[in-house]
Amino acid sequence: MVTAHPCADSFTHAAAAAARRGLERGGNDVTSLDLYALGFAPAMSPAERAAYHTDHPLIDPLTSEHARLVQRAEMLVFVYPTWWSGPPAILRGWLERVFVPGVAFRFDARGKLRPALTNVRQIVGISTYGSPRRYVKLLNDGGRRMLTRALRLNCGWRTRTRWLALYSFDTLGDTDRAAFLDRVERSMSRRRGGA
Amino acid sequence: MKSLVVYCHPDPASFTAAVRDRAIGALQSRGDEVRVDDLYAQGFDPLFTATEREHHLEHGANPAVAPYVDDLLWCERLVLVYPTWWSGQPAMLKGWIERVWVNGVAWELPAGANRLRGRLRNVRRIVAITSHGSSKLSNALEGEVGKRMVSRTLRSLCHPLTRTTWLAFYGIDTATDDERRRFLDKIERKLS
Repeated sequence: MVTAHPCADSFTHAAAAAARRGLERGGNDVTSLDLYALGFAPAMSPAERAAYHTDHPLIDPLTSEHARLVQRAEMLVFVYPTWWSGPPAILRGWLERVFVPGVAFRFDARGKLRPALTNVRQIVGISTYGSPRRYVKLLNDGGRRMLTRALRLNCGWRTRTRWLALYSFDTLGDTDRAAFLDRVERSMSRRRGGA
Repeated sequence: MKSLVVYCHPDPASFTAAVRDRAIGALQSRGDEVRVDDLYAQGFDPLFTATEREHHLEHGANPAVAPYVDDLLWCERLVLVYPTWWSGQPAMLKGWIERVWVNGVAWELPAGANRLRGRLRNVRRIVAITSHGSSKLSNALEGEVGKRMVSRTLRSLCHPLTRTTWLAFYGIDTATDDERRRFLDKIERKLS
């Protein structure tokens, strides 16, 4: 489970905690990565870019450790606030720096991408949106598409996706927010999607 | 026209750098006044901080990014030059948007509203120049996240008549030198 929000007392962190409770109730073994708390550097460095197409693209101990976790995971859960139609830069950077060739995909002899995350059976996104649902759809919902399409293509054929979204977040009251946390916990305690 | 080129690539010898140079040359040849923000070379920090988050409903950017704000408020044409990674803008460029396009600069949020009101009326043209490792078809299937980010999300905060131009090189991982040259020529043609 990967969380991306700069403030430890954020609603995003509350949603991550609810997801974790649900997952543990469902008998899952959970590893959490709180990217801001870990001090994760968002930008792929020039040295990492130079190593990207070599046999050893992971040159930072932290990204190597995260790559090992990803390669063992059966479920990837992303918890973040949607900013600018997508995940915060720190989470985009996590994909750039950890999901490198040999981890998320490999190039075949013709230079085409082949999936390497066949261990991942499910991708889950949990996100808050400032905008109403209709406006999110109009703007394209970039974060959801990135995770449930682009990332999903690097997994196996049978990998499922689950999306738990709270729209119009800025104008919602406490009751709606609490109801969402319950929904997250309930959903994550189950193997399959559905609220 | 006043053109701001925001360039994002960690490798100064990359194809994206060649694209940037051709774009700048073309803009200058048409008489544009050009400013360049090279995010990696200038050491831009893409991390939107906890303090920035706590103050994000107040007007104004973090003083640390003030020169970038000045450039954004100065330009009439915004030219983004970057490689597409994970269907969209690299974290470095995404961080530039998060930290520079803030309340009081790019938008404001009237009380009780849940949609931003744009403030960048100085921006009349947005040009995005990017390369994709994968084909046009797979990008269409994945939903063209980066393209929509520019043509819908960013554009919605600029002048109402802002036009966007999308110049994308699909399938760069398998492209020949000749195809790369043709793309550079196309950039020059489209921008001059």
